Amino acid sequence: MLEVEQKKFEHIRKSLSEEDGRGAARILPGEFYVTDKDEIITTVLGSCVSACICDPELKIGGMNHFMLPEMDEPGSRWRNTAADAAHRYGNYAMESLINDILARGGHKNRLLIKVFGGGKILDSMTDVGQHNIDFVKSYLHAEHLDIAAQDLGDRFPRKIIFYPSTGRVRVKKLSALHSPDIAQQEKTLIEEFKHQTIGNDATLF
Amino acid sequence: MTDILVVDDSLSMRYMVSLTLEEANYSVTVAEDGEQGLQQAKVGNFDLVITDINMPVMDGLTLVSKLRELDGYRCTPMLVLTTESGTEKKAEGKAAGATGWIVKPFDPDKLLKLVARVVN
Repeated sequence: MLEVEQKKFEHIRKSLSEEDGRGAARILPGEFYVTDKDEIITTVLGSCVSACICDPELKIGGMNHFMLPEMDEPGSRWRNTAADAAHRYGNYAMESLINDILARGGHKNRLLIKVFGGGKILDSMTDVGQHNIDFVKSYLHAEHLDIAAQDLGDRFPRKIIFYPSTGRVRVKKLSALHSPDIAQQEKTLIEEFKHQTIGNDATLF
Repeated sequence: MTDILVVDDSLSMRYMVSLTLEEANYSVTVAEDGEQGLQQAKVGNFDLVITDINMPVMDGLTLVSKLRELDGYRCTPMLVLTTESGTEKKAEGKAAGATGWIVKPFDPDKLLKLVARVVN
């Protein structure tokens, strides 16, 4: 059963950690990864946010990495409602991670949740990072899930190193000047969202 | 008026789906898990059930198969709305008696089109 479930993570890049030789999974924007093995999950965040969630009793945990699309197309009747593209996508990103942990036996009331990112690293009119922070906080509040630790906002990118079996997280603050590729990657992501419809897959049996 | 039962353990999802359906003038009742959904279905008379899969107490596929055993719900359309997109899981849904499968994140306009199609 778990072997089948693990198939959805086949595309996740794995390497050996430079520090202690453990396996390390590196996730990119739009991805999430859950494991019950003694490995590390890492990512680099600019204005994107990540939730690091684990059930410490079962030693299962995972991380997501996402940015919300800015808004629906002008004229969409869902624009600025709780069913707009940002809410739909954000809900999906959080629910996918939480569901995967629960599906492996995790308990909702035992979840240790830490959130990171949302830096203001893009020179844009809207504060994309703050938008992401506001969403993740309001989502967890609505779902009655407490935040155990957070490092959000400010003006720098972060490297996140998560130990999913214990819930421990190390945050390395990166210099924005030395991380121009992160800003570029996020700008590309924002552009891609503009050409995407959030939600497509529907089947009648 | 068309009455729809929405079953999801996530408050945000219940709110989002209700808002979408109510915008199109459907009457919506919500339940937080499969067991609550089953009890609601027994006292109500719904024209459509939309359910999540992974929920505490009773999952969505168990709910669908239990509803199919009830006289009032043998032919009622039932849509699964889930983050799961695997073909094996979809096959389980079909076997349980689901009418259709929508993968989250859903497009509200497409959800409404599908709903209109199955309730008519």
